[in-house]
Amino acid sequence: MESDRSVTWVVIAAYNEGKVIRGVVREVVQDGWQVVVVDDGSRDHTIEEARAGGALVVRHPINLGQGAALQTGIDYALRRGARYIVTFDADGQHNAADIPALIDALADADVALGSRFLGKQIEGATARRKVLLRTATMVSNGLSGMKLTDAHCGFRAIRASVAPKLRILQDRMAHASELLRKIHTSGVRVVEVPTTVRYTEHSMSKGQGGVQAVRILFDYFFRA
Amino acid sequence: MIIRILLLLGLGATGWFVFLRRNRLPVHIMTVFALIAAGAVAVLFPETTQHAADLVGVGRGTDLITYIAIVAVLFVLLHYYTKFVDLQRQLTEVARELAILRAEVDRVAPPARSSDQPDRAAG
Repeated sequence: MESDRSVTWVVIAAYNEGKVIRGVVREVVQDGWQVVVVDDGSRDHTIEEARAGGALVVRHPINLGQGAALQTGIDYALRRGARYIVTFDADGQHNAADIPALIDALADADVALGSRFLGKQIEGATARRKVLLRTATMVSNGLSGMKLTDAHCGFRAIRASVAPKLRILQDRMAHASELLRKIHTSGVRVVEVPTTVRYTEHSMSKGQGGVQAVRILFDYFFRA
Repeated sequence: MIIRILLLLGLGATGWFVFLRRNRLPVHIMTVFALIAAGAVAVLFPETTQHAADLVGVGRGTDLITYIAIVAVLFVLLHYYTKFVDLQRQLTEVARELAILRAEVDRVAPPARSSDQPDRAAG
């Protein structure tokens, strides 16, 4: 519905995504969504590219991490009177065409989480990557106490009214697990929605590997 | 006894440094001076550490010193780690406020693009 689009803000956290951010933003803007790109202190031309794509840009004066950037975007969206907030990855792995399904799911839920494993396809993922993602999901379910099919998808829709309950304090990558824990403990209604994922060479290079997983766990336990 | 002189000089320098930066509560300063005094006693009269070790059931005075030092270092590390995490959180909040404020200011009053296009600045 058009009325949804004027009260929905799509939050994209970007760090050195100058190569792809314009296309990613444009795809979302062309569908009529309002986009805020939080530039996390990039050293490249991410800001100019995001603006060229049609996004409003909020820029961190220093690099703080993806979790911090998402929360900044959420704060900005709330300030602009958003009713629905969508988080979207900057690397082009998500599909703007999936946004309406996430918003529709908020009709009887407070949070809609995109899932890469719920039926739809994962394009271009290696077997190794799938194993890593499945393992991360198992660990995350253990930590959060929920049963999700995909714990670390960056594609989500949140009702603005519950956003203050889900405030992200983990500046770096542990924010995904933190968010799930808060969803679980605050008792908001959550639903999973199948989304497509396109893994490209670029998005793979920005993805998290096994070594980073250890650091994320450290952050989760010692910086909460 | 060169080592005693070096140790006492180190303790003295630490005390002087703390004295110069005495903007904290008096109790902090007194605690530091008490620790430095205890250290000086241990340097000048090493046998006192043996007496202390005997009192608490540790074999040697040097062992007691080692144990205390390890616990003290861990405590200091934890203290500064907690402080570091707090500071980082505050830094994030400040940076976030600044980022949002700047975006809002730019939206209300767009910045001038460049000096050769003065007409744009007004719009």
